[in-house]
Amino acid sequence: MQNNLFLIARQHWRSVLSSKALLPLLSLFYVLLLYATLTGWQNYHAQNQVRKSQQAQVRHDWEGSPDKHPHRMAHYGYLAFRIKHPLSIFDYGLESYTGNAIFLEAHRQNTTNFSEASFSSSLLRFGDISLAMLLQILLPLLIFFLGFNSISAERENGTLKMLFGQGVKWSELLFGKTLSLLAISSLFFLPAALVLLGIGIFEAAQFSENLSRVGVLLGIYTIYIGILCLVAVGVSATSPGSKSALLRLLGLWLLWAIVLPRSTQALGNYLHPSPSKVAFDAAIEHDLIREGDSHNPDDPHYKAIKDSLLRVYQVDSVQQLPFNYSGFIMTEGERISADIYNRHLNRLLQIYDRQNRLAESSAWLNPIAALRNSSMRLAGSDFAAYRHFQQQAETFRYHLAQEMNRLQMRLISNKKLGPNDKPYQISRKYWSELHDFDYRFLSMKQLNPSLWSGYLVLLAWLMGLLLVFWVLIKRLQIV
Amino acid sequence: MYQLEIKRFLRSKGMVSALLTLLVIGVLSLCIGQQFVQKQTQAQAEIARFQAEHINRNVQFFDKEMGLLLYYLRFTLVNSSHPLNALSIGQRDVNNSIQSLTIRGLENQKYDTDLHNPVNLLLGNLDFSFVLVYLFPLLIIALSYNLLAEEREGGTLRLLASQTGQVSLFLLRKIGIRVLAIGLCLLILLGVALFMFQLPWNAETLAFCAIALAYVLFWFSLSAWVISWQRSSGFNAAMLLAFWVLLTILAPVGINAYLINRYPVPEALSVMVKQREGYHEKWDLDKAVTMDKFYAHYPQFKRFPLPDKTFSWLWYYAMQQMGDDESRAATLELKSKLKQREESSRRLAYFCPPIHAQLSLNHLAGADLSNHLQFLEATARFHEKNRLYFYPRIFGDEPVHNEKWGAFKVEKFQAAVPINWFSSLGPLLLLSVGLLGFGLYGLRQIKIEH
Repeated sequence: MQNNLFLIARQHWRSVLSSKALLPLLSLFYVLLLYATLTGWQNYHAQNQVRKSQQAQVRHDWEGSPDKHPHRMAHYGYLAFRIKHPLSIFDYGLESYTGNAIFLEAHRQNTTNFSEASFSSSLLRFGDISLAMLLQILLPLLIFFLGFNSISAERENGTLKMLFGQGVKWSELLFGKTLSLLAISSLFFLPAALVLLGIGIFEAAQFSENLSRVGVLLGIYTIYIGILCLVAVGVSATSPGSKSALLRLLGLWLLWAIVLPRSTQALGNYLHPSPSKVAFDAAIEHDLIREGDSHNPDDPHYKAIKDSLLRVYQVDSVQQLPFNYSGFIMTEGERISADIYNRHLNRLLQIYDRQNRLAESSAWLNPIAALRNSSMRLAGSDFAAYRHFQQQAETFRYHLAQEMNRLQMRLISNKKLGPNDKPYQISRKYWSELHDFDYRFLSMKQLNPSLWSGYLVLLAWLMGLLLVFWVLIKRLQIV
Repeated sequence: MYQLEIKRFLRSKGMVSALLTLLVIGVLSLCIGQQFVQKQTQAQAEIARFQAEHINRNVQFFDKEMGLLLYYLRFTLVNSSHPLNALSIGQRDVNNSIQSLTIRGLENQKYDTDLHNPVNLLLGNLDFSFVLVYLFPLLIIALSYNLLAEEREGGTLRLLASQTGQVSLFLLRKIGIRVLAIGLCLLILLGVALFMFQLPWNAETLAFCAIALAYVLFWFSLSAWVISWQRSSGFNAAMLLAFWVLLTILAPVGINAYLINRYPVPEALSVMVKQREGYHEKWDLDKAVTMDKFYAHYPQFKRFPLPDKTFSWLWYYAMQQMGDDESRAATLELKSKLKQREESSRRLAYFCPPIHAQLSLNHLAGADLSNHLQFLEATARFHEKNRLYFYPRIFGDEPVHNEKWGAFKVEKFQAAVPINWFSSLGPLLLLSVGLLGFGLYGLRQIKIEH
């Protein structure tokens, strides 16, 4: 049994190796891999270098600011730049569509701006070239092309009968061909795997962490390739001829690579429309007004706060309070506005999740979708990674605003200034007390729970196909 | 003769169902375009109402100082969407088409993005231009890859040659019927769109249809050329699909990666840093530094001397102005880089019909980068206009209620869409004619057998 299987595998491997198509395809694929690696590498370094140097500049300017009123520092604010994960060289994921820089200031949540897409001609919408894209989109096409006639040609040539006459079983034939196709695919996959390993080793921000990510990525891509080889051999065995096998496989590829991703996402969008920015901002402003306006002296919410403060401290006016009153009010205002904003944002994100869920669950019908989600997540270039950046930026913004409010409450006098008085200031030594914005990637530990479902789908695909093979072994006809 | 061929074509159920599927997807894509446009129009209606409310409320609240009121007030410029945008969404889902700006620093406001789900952007829109650029060629390939080879492989070619005499004429007739079927399919979709979106009968709509037809023609010519090699149907299918992958996937992503690395835009981030620094550092400098520069920029405001107070709105807005003035060099640099990107991609697209068609359709639909750059320039003009209107009123401390606030409506910007017939249709037609010529040349002699 074993012997026959390897014999068949070796024979198929030799015949594909000697075919005229392999060399051009292999060289084309290698050239593309090289191009994707070089451009990805260059872009990663150029972008991160600019972002890191701007981040350092921002820190330098912040610490170098002279003595000021702390609220002025809160408006001077901070800029946060999104650093690319080293594995994004391998899988761009959403990188081109997510913003790269955000201005963080008191009272206001700004948008994350300057995505690559906003500076691109429509060309970007054809896609990014990255190693992951080549493996996800191009490799299946090549595997299908190299495997479409693996069984059907034997049937058409009449060699199938001869093989069975020599005592070969269907199981040996099917798995032998799959094994050989797997070996051929690895010719395509290995260089990409080496580059991936190289990124993990040489671009190691967090050494062990990256290597375990690389390990998992290699694992899921291997399973993915296994799935594709099984599909190619299975379709070849069940089609009436080589031509129809080729057409069926090409149809599957079109469905998986081009048609399903867009149409499921379009359907998700259609079913769960998200609000425009205008409506989103208006709803937040509406809630803010309802909650109370800290600028309005007669506002009931803030009047109640004032009255209770006066009562607790047993004083007649806010000027007599032991801390800066407007600092206190701004602390309260910041808390309320951040709360409202986050509530609306979470609602918006839930809509986005619902939009994306359909495309995600299409993974049960589409192995490319199954791989894409896990791959982006592991490469730190998916929506969760972006959200993680935005959350860190918002946490930092809130901390900055409240830190400045705290300094104001503690160090700024309550006495009102005349029009020609010098404004209150505090020493610049306080500025460096605020820590720098230090973006941290999601750790594997944080990622793991959200990754299992993706692995599960891929494994289900593998198991399902093996089951199909098991049925085929019993049912397949020789002619 | 034609009738017989048409009957044969209609009888093959695979062909007809493929055409019907394409029609259904096409209509779906129009619905998606409609939903997109509706969302935009709705947002534009909302912003008009919202701006009126916003101005009203703030004018009541901050009615003592013009300077303080204008700190809060936002004025809106809308980038009007073209009716063709429903057919080609382009970059309109990435780029913001509503700018609500205060008269404070421009540079930290104009790049604010719209809200979007990045996964939508990654996977792309299923709009009409997608159906045209990606799916139409596939159907054309499916309809034509086996045209000659089928007869040869079925053994009917010899019979045909003896009956009709001119096999190439027979072949051309077959191709002609397919061109008609696909053309009809395309015209039906365009007709539905015309009706659905009330497209005006103007040069843009005409150019849009012409590009769509020329693009379809290109793929037929390419198929004819491949058929003329007279190889097996399997070979033709693989070859045509290889062309499709090359032209719609590999070439565009490769060119895009090249352009991004060739014209990086680090200026975007430095605009942000410089603007913020340029404004904020002025608080701690001698007022004369700011005012001298401000008066140099706007000599007409020299008639407003700086009040002898610690804080004045004149000084405040002069400081805000400095943020823009000092980041100006980086802004111009960014603008010229983006123009270079746009121009290079257009030039490289001449050799790749799918990119060329997509860029041209987006251009006509007002959904390309050049439209966005024009809108950014219009935003700057709009902002400057508001500044020049309100600066004297703020500096002269005119009463808030003297102003007719109801007159400040949302303004609309309509970018000019220059149509260059030669450069938009030329590359497609030239390539088509060339390939068709090669094809006909290759079909002078029909090989009966391999």
